[in-house]
Amino acid sequence: MLVFFGVLLSLPAQPVPRTPVDDAAVIEKLPFRAGDSSARELEALRVSARKAPGNATTAAALALAYFDMAQARGDPRYIGYADAVVRQFDQSMSVDLLVIRGMLHQYRHDFDEALVDFAAALAQDPDRASAHAWRGAIYLVQAKYDNARQECAALLKLSRTVLHGGCIGLVQAYTGQLSSAYTTLQQALALARYDDQRLWLLTRLGEVSAWLGYNARAERHYRDALALGRDDGYLLAAWADFLLDNERPIEVVKLLAAWEASDPLLLRLAEAESTLQLPSAGAHVQALDDRFAAAKLRGDTTHRAEEARFQLRLRKNAALAVQLAAANYKVQKEPRDLRVLLEAALAARDPDAAKPAREWLQSTGFEGGQIRKLAAQTLQLPPVAITPR
Amino acid sequence: MRRFVILWVLLLCQMTAWAHKASDSYLVIDVKGNAVTAQWDIALRDIDFALGLDRDGNAEITWGELRARQSDLSAWALSRLAITRSGGCPLQMTSLQVDEHTDGGYAVLHLVGVCPGATGPLSLQYRLLFDLDSLHRGLLRLTLDGTTHTTVISPASDLLQLGAAQKSRWAQFKQYLNEGVWHIWIGFDHILFLLSLLLPAVLVLKMRRWQGVNSFGLAFREVLRVVTSFTVAHSITLSLAALGLVSLPSRLVESAIALSVVLAAANNLWPGVEHRRWLVAFGFGLIHGFGFASVLAELGLPADALALSLLGFNAGVEVGQLAIVAGFLPVAFLLRNTRLYLRWVFVLGSWLTMLLALIWLLERALDLKLMTA
Repeated sequence: MLVFFGVLLSLPAQPVPRTPVDDAAVIEKLPFRAGDSSARELEALRVSARKAPGNATTAAALALAYFDMAQARGDPRYIGYADAVVRQFDQSMSVDLLVIRGMLHQYRHDFDEALVDFAAALAQDPDRASAHAWRGAIYLVQAKYDNARQECAALLKLSRTVLHGGCIGLVQAYTGQLSSAYTTLQQALALARYDDQRLWLLTRLGEVSAWLGYNARAERHYRDALALGRDDGYLLAAWADFLLDNERPIEVVKLLAAWEASDPLLLRLAEAESTLQLPSAGAHVQALDDRFAAAKLRGDTTHRAEEARFQLRLRKNAALAVQLAAANYKVQKEPRDLRVLLEAALAARDPDAAKPAREWLQSTGFEGGQIRKLAAQTLQLPPVAITPR
Repeated sequence: MRRFVILWVLLLCQMTAWAHKASDSYLVIDVKGNAVTAQWDIALRDIDFALGLDRDGNAEITWGELRARQSDLSAWALSRLAITRSGGCPLQMTSLQVDEHTDGGYAVLHLVGVCPGATGPLSLQYRLLFDLDSLHRGLLRLTLDGTTHTTVISPASDLLQLGAAQKSRWAQFKQYLNEGVWHIWIGFDHILFLLSLLLPAVLVLKMRRWQGVNSFGLAFREVLRVVTSFTVAHSITLSLAALGLVSLPSRLVESAIALSVVLAAANNLWPGVEHRRWLVAFGFGLIHGFGFASVLAELGLPADALALSLLGFNAGVEVGQLAIVAGFLPVAFLLRNTRLYLRWVFVLGSWLTMLLALIWLLERALDLKLMTA
């Protein structure tokens, strides 16, 4: 009876929509002001697209601006806007629009459809370097290295030396030639004329150095990249991972304090906070939980690698982490995808789950020391059901 | 030329891709016969993108800025949602509120509508934002005559067709059975009434002092009498009310239910009726039946399976009730001679019940709000 009363009186009030009392109450903050330069540029593109309906060139410019905005801000709404613009031309796709549609497909991890679009673009314009570059990148993610090499070669033929260097450098890195990869990427860096090229190459040089075990060198590359003074989600994530691996969580907390809006960076921030047992960790873990749940509701599966890491490191749910990491690995096969699969398999004591990752290491000869060590550990797991080949 | 390098870089920035969330709206619709009620949560950012809300251009949307565009918002949203049941069901917005989801502020549109027909299949077409944002999704929860469907609406599948009465008789019976069980479990006033009558079932009053009864059989027979008469009584009125033969104002019914709990609990503290508790159970059971009927009215009874659903709901109430009794009786019987039961559970429990029911009585009779629970 008393228990019953306890239940009765502690019933939580249902969360309900509210009616603000004050007209001046702020109910939402927009990404930017109408007067900001990027907002004005977008608006100008929108206006010219509206004035010339059916003009593939203005539409492509607007769609591309949306795509860039999505990347810069990590905000997928702009991908939807871009897609809606491109869709109006479904019957009469120009080369530009085909490339953009391919980019939008790859963003959603519809790699096969993206490849179809890039192939269609190249059929019309075989010298379209961007289509080769994107195709190379998709093949790298899919671990189809021979195909990727062909795309790199096509870039070289088009005299895109920096692009070619980045492309072939990554193929080398993923296929057991880390030292050559380092040299290739450095040569590309020497040729690079623009800051965004330099930033990307420096970031990858940081990763390659860390795989080689040269931590001081890796840190120097990351710091050079950061010194360029551009916000870049990939760089921040890679640098934060480097710091976490080297047990420097305090620096991660400082680095990412203002990046809560970005879920991958929030994940790393929450990891650092929970290592340091900071009180803010709880709220951040909850926020990530809510965001994963919201994505699931709409059937979005593009972030399974991050979710696997979240379940593994912050929720300590190794069984779910293995499932997510294995599902992700079917789509994406880069070292970070491999690593989360191996770590999850180890935590779940499930050597079988790690088998595809071991096979990847076997066939590529990838030299990342830490990942090779993890793979070896999965073989020591009892029961040893698999023998190394 | 630079563009290509940027692109190249960006593919490998995949991981930042879902930093925020793609656009979703949350649409909850309830269709009962020809009556449609709905709540539609639409992100303020999306409304701003489609209609432009930020009048002063300071990157902040205020409640006033949203309210100023209320009629535009309603016209825009409602032109992109169509519900039909034997013809179009015109919708209108009755009120506007705001709420928060994981990715920011949302406008909450409360909608009502009336369909030409009260039976038959229903179709829904949703096209909100699809012309502007092809990644937008409508997360729909639609309850059609008591059966809930959830689905994600996308540009590729923007039309939803639901056949009514597709369910088997057995499924329908089971659904109402479950509803019956559920509603007795969350109907605290019914449970408290029943428990107030059952608490003394394992006791007997001797020389003005309560003691445990001697045999389980005695207690069991008392419980059986009370529960059976409560059941028979509320089944009668539930059926009469559900079939529309008798109807009482709900405020009167709810107040009388609260009063019945007060009296039942008071009877434990100052025993008046001791041997004829089953009569009390029967008398007030008639009132509680009207209370169940109002729940059933909210659920809606399908016209084509009226008797079956009514039977299912009634049976559900009984099953839920029996589960409570089955949990209560053995424990109460074991503890009947302990101080815990006599002093705390019986006396304090009756006091608390009486006080709580008194609050309900005041709330319901005077239409006040005294508690949040």
